[in-house]
Amino acid sequence: MTIDVTFELNGAPATVAVEPHHTLREALRRLGMFSVHYGSDSGETGAAAVLYDGRLASSDVILAASADGHSVTTVESLNVSPDLHPVQTAFVAVGAFQSGYSAGAMILGTLALLEEDPDPSEAEIRDMLSGILDRETAYVKPVEAVKRAAAVLRGEDTEPFAPLVLEPLTDGYRPAPAAGGEVPEASHAVPRLVPSREVPDMAVVGKPEVKVDAVRLAKGNPAFTDDIEPRGMLYAKVLRSPHAHARILSIDDSAARAVPGVHAVLHHGNTPRVKYASGGQSWPNPHPYDQVSFDDRVRHVGDRVAAVAAETVEAAEEAVRLIEVTYDVLPAVYDERFAMDADAPKVHDEDDTTHICDPERNLVHHITAQRGDVDGNLAIGAHAFEQTFRVHQVQQCPIEPHISMAWLDSDERMVVRTATQVPFHTRRMLAPLIDMDIKDIRVIKPRIGGGFGAKQEMLIEDIVAHLAIATRRPVRLELDRAEEFYASRTRHPQTITFRTAVDDDGRLLAQEMAIIGNTGPYGTHGFTVQIVSGLRGLTSYNAAAKRFDCHVVYTNIPVPGAYRGYGAPQAEFALEAHMEDIARTLDLDPIEFKRRNWVKVGDEMDIAPHLGERAVAEEELDEYPKVMSSGIEECVAQGMREIDWSRRGDAAWKAPADRPNIRRGIGFAFCMHGTAIPFLDMGGCSIKLNDDGSFNMLIGATDLGTGADTVIGQIAAEVLGVPLDDIKVYSSDTDMTPFDTGAYASSTTYISGTAALRAAEAVRERLKARAAMLLEVDEPCTIELRDRRAYAADGRSVTLEEIALDSLHWQEQEQIMGTASHVSPDCPPPFAAQFAEVEVDVDTGQVTVTKLVMAVDCGVAINPVTASGQVEGGMIQALGYAHCEEIVLDDEGRMVNPSFGPYKIYRADEMPDTVVYLVQTMEDSGPFGAKAVAEIPKDGVAPAVRNAILDATGAAINDLPFTPERVWAALQAQVPPAAGAG
Amino acid sequence: MPLVTAYHRPASLDEALDLLSAPERVALGGGTTLNADRVPSDLEAVDLQSLGLDATTAAGDGRVRIGATATLDAVRRCELLPDSLRELARLEQPSTLRTLATVGGLVAKASAESLLLAGLLAHDARVELAGPASDASLAGLLAGGFPPGSLITAVTVDPSGRTATARTGRTPADVPIVAAYGRRTDGFVAMAVTGVADHPVLVDVGDPTAGLDPAGDFRGSRDYRLHLARTLTARVMQEMYP
Repeated sequence: MTIDVTFELNGAPATVAVEPHHTLREALRRLGMFSVHYGSDSGETGAAAVLYDGRLASSDVILAASADGHSVTTVESLNVSPDLHPVQTAFVAVGAFQSGYSAGAMILGTLALLEEDPDPSEAEIRDMLSGILDRETAYVKPVEAVKRAAAVLRGEDTEPFAPLVLEPLTDGYRPAPAAGGEVPEASHAVPRLVPSREVPDMAVVGKPEVKVDAVRLAKGNPAFTDDIEPRGMLYAKVLRSPHAHARILSIDDSAARAVPGVHAVLHHGNTPRVKYASGGQSWPNPHPYDQVSFDDRVRHVGDRVAAVAAETVEAAEEAVRLIEVTYDVLPAVYDERFAMDADAPKVHDEDDTTHICDPERNLVHHITAQRGDVDGNLAIGAHAFEQTFRVHQVQQCPIEPHISMAWLDSDERMVVRTATQVPFHTRRMLAPLIDMDIKDIRVIKPRIGGGFGAKQEMLIEDIVAHLAIATRRPVRLELDRAEEFYASRTRHPQTITFRTAVDDDGRLLAQEMAIIGNTGPYGTHGFTVQIVSGLRGLTSYNAAAKRFDCHVVYTNIPVPGAYRGYGAPQAEFALEAHMEDIARTLDLDPIEFKRRNWVKVGDEMDIAPHLGERAVAEEELDEYPKVMSSGIEECVAQGMREIDWSRRGDAAWKAPADRPNIRRGIGFAFCMHGTAIPFLDMGGCSIKLNDDGSFNMLIGATDLGTGADTVIGQIAAEVLGVPLDDIKVYSSDTDMTPFDTGAYASSTTYISGTAALRAAEAVRERLKARAAMLLEVDEPCTIELRDRRAYAADGRSVTLEEIALDSLHWQEQEQIMGTASHVSPDCPPPFAAQFAEVEVDVDTGQVTVTKLVMAVDCGVAINPVTASGQVEGGMIQALGYAHCEEIVLDDEGRMVNPSFGPYKIYRADEMPDTVVYLVQTMEDSGPFGAKAVAEIPKDGVAPAVRNAILDATGAAINDLPFTPERVWAALQAQVPPAAGAG
Repeated sequence: MPLVTAYHRPASLDEALDLLSAPERVALGGGTTLNADRVPSDLEAVDLQSLGLDATTAAGDGRVRIGATATLDAVRRCELLPDSLRELARLEQPSTLRTLATVGGLVAKASAESLLLAGLLAHDARVELAGPASDASLAGLLAGGFPPGSLITAVTVDPSGRTATARTGRTPADVPIVAAYGRRTDGFVAMAVTGVADHPVLVDVGDPTAGLDPAGDFRGSRDYRLHLARTLTARVMQEMYP
């Protein structure tokens, strides 16, 4: 039954024919309002929020029919000219958008709020934003944007949004001579920048440039995967296993096929069995290849059983319900600590999966590495410590769920438009599954609404491609929020044991890290994530002897995979808790104890070469990689001042007299991450000159909302002497752009940025040569590019436009262009000091995190605003990991909390204060001195919060997350924080 | 979302009651519960928006009458209501959902974790019903179940008294694991607690866990919830009797 619904849309009447079950979101998108995005069916993400009779409301839960007679406003209402509305401008100016998936909702909420109150309080702003979940910004810059918009609309002047430049507190190498001092005052949204004398001032690099895609996002223009709709598109749905472990005895799809509008039903009985590993990694993907598109065995609740393509979502859902499957339910195992037991069920006993270390014990990999005499040093150490930690399973929660569409183009090539972090890996990995050559597959990565590693996976692209082949129609598949939780990817749970020997001077003699890593039912990233855990767990501190011993096991939990931080957050939680407890046991100041042992400039990262996909033995190695830059002392000094570290000794502050149930504490964590995978991560870039002196830049790098397109554009602009606006960035499309391994491993700025640097340098050489010709200068190397011109040494110049017109149209014509790629032998570590301040309610166990401070040495921040945004967002994701997020399974392996709310992520009206410091160092191997910044914010929050709880209460908690009952139980037990036999 | 097969928008209470007499039809308030339901089931929606039940007014006897289709946002803004109750309305749902969710829907859903429902209980809420059932106390309705064939038209509350709230959650804005809301009037205390039964309950302030046997879940075990109930009610009492 179709209903004609009429409502006022952006000031004009709009009529749309809908079915009774259609939501307003669906109706609006059919009317071309692409700013209204899907985040969940229950409206709690706010990605589809509109103004409904002037009030912010989630259109997901409004029936389209209910909207009849109402007024609906979307952000498209503001797009009446090329210029932005002042509210849009404010969001753009402060860098409030990362992926921008919920940009429309934020702007509309701001409009409504300011209409009601032109000068709202911060609490009112945060309340307005409380219904728009943002996984990226920590709401810091969106709140700033609302304040700025309010000021502008009140007619007040605003300053350009720029970092607060601070004087260093150290000489860069030694601790600050004196603690304390005045804390610099500025909005918390403003990054504090501590410059390095080694870094020259530049025109574009290091500047808070507005993101290249900001206008597109602010206007809600169609940019995301779902924002196009090929004619004749079918909708896919997946039948998922209700069992954690079962054999499929039979599938009867006859009733499903009979549903009107159903075009294909695929399952193991009609789909080729091609083994693969779904992790988006470089060729050759790490073994084992333990997956197929559709199997006759299911290994977790939510595993694929069958897929349907139909004319409508409803028909596809109906068909899925009608597929009859007979299962032989098998026993399951969830806890990695029991997966290797003799009586544990075998997760993989099929004949065609090879390279499982010991399938009888569910042991996928046994990874070991050692340097020095660990057992000997553990035996002679004056103090020996052993602790075990358990870290849990969480989900990445991009607000845009996984979505892909596929079709055969006019040349019968497969086109896949997909929200992926790894378009090139996806193309290569997809080819054998659909029996097509790589050359006949094109993967297009449009704008992505967040990924955080979940989209470093060939997760659903094979399903839409199979269905597109079967139906010869375009096919679209979007996961719903519940599927995103239990049927996409998650963070690996681990059980981690550290053993450490310390001498009487507080120096580490030996450190051993043993991990049981839970890779769930499939290998995917199981090997490499644990490798990174080992890297982060054993390279942060110097010790004469080190050993890594890791068992990676299969279980029947939802599949772990890549998640921002990639094994580091698990390891650094355990390591920094362990080091904290050792310091307390030895009665040493924790920072001083850690400082005594942490790696410094010139120190070897001694176990690193023995871990990884291309690990080498000690005898094969000429020398160990060394730390070449570190700003950790400055980070510690700035962070201590900001958090007011001295309050740890203030009894009145720690136990406020007027709040007898409250204890306060401050915690610290030392953080060290990596920058790209040496000898493996590779990025390419191509730049060409246009008639007007601008440039098209094609990159394979994948901007998830991080600002990568902007940052890489800034690098090229700096080299070419033009403003960023003259660099038109396009990424990424496997037919159009150069290869790139993708957005992961904190590699994009460092690897793809260096590729851009080199491509720009190649273009610059040709520009100089052409300029020398025009200016009749003998030595092109004397030409300088700046301000869109090429200058001779005597001051004469030509514009780049003149060079372009000459080279394209006039004499000795050529297309000036440059192509370059980059792979690095280095992996320069960024460093950071993470601080957390907490209040613990000792009667209930509730922990309130009141402040987070991270001071980061990421080399040279190419764009300090986007870099600080990365740190802010990363910290809050990490806080969720520490504090409130957890995937909870029942005894049957079903996730009991697959929706936001029960699965708790932070929202705007409950945020701690967050302050970010960017401490510059010059990393010579990076583009203009840059290192990584995207993942290190994930590393230190959990241990800093844990150590703050310890400081507040004396309770040492070694399991995550710090939920009220867990903390309360620890307080009841009050286990002393001793870390073993001292 | 359930598969809504038909949509009705009655213009009168009688028409609404007539429509709702068919078992496959469900009253639609703001839609935040019904439309968010992921369990597929065919139903017909009876949208109550045209019944004129959205006003919040002084009831004349010192009570405040909140229309069934008044949104939680309207409750948050209503100056006739005490600040503490308005704050519960703010906490109940985030900004994008409280503009849709209705008081009638809140009562009908009877969520065990509803802060606002606890507040209404403590404020001696009475529920006005259309249809075969007569008006009833909220406490009685929650305990006895919703009478079939009836439609909530309003909730009245006594706004007077000194109030206090205490709650424990994973984060400051989390749906509380357990919360207590107390109201003191002329030596009498009404104390409502969430998270310890199938719906918010009024408890005996002298023995706040008497008769409670909460089901534990991953956020809080049975014993922990009982501990919180004791701790939080004591805090509320302390705040009301400083």
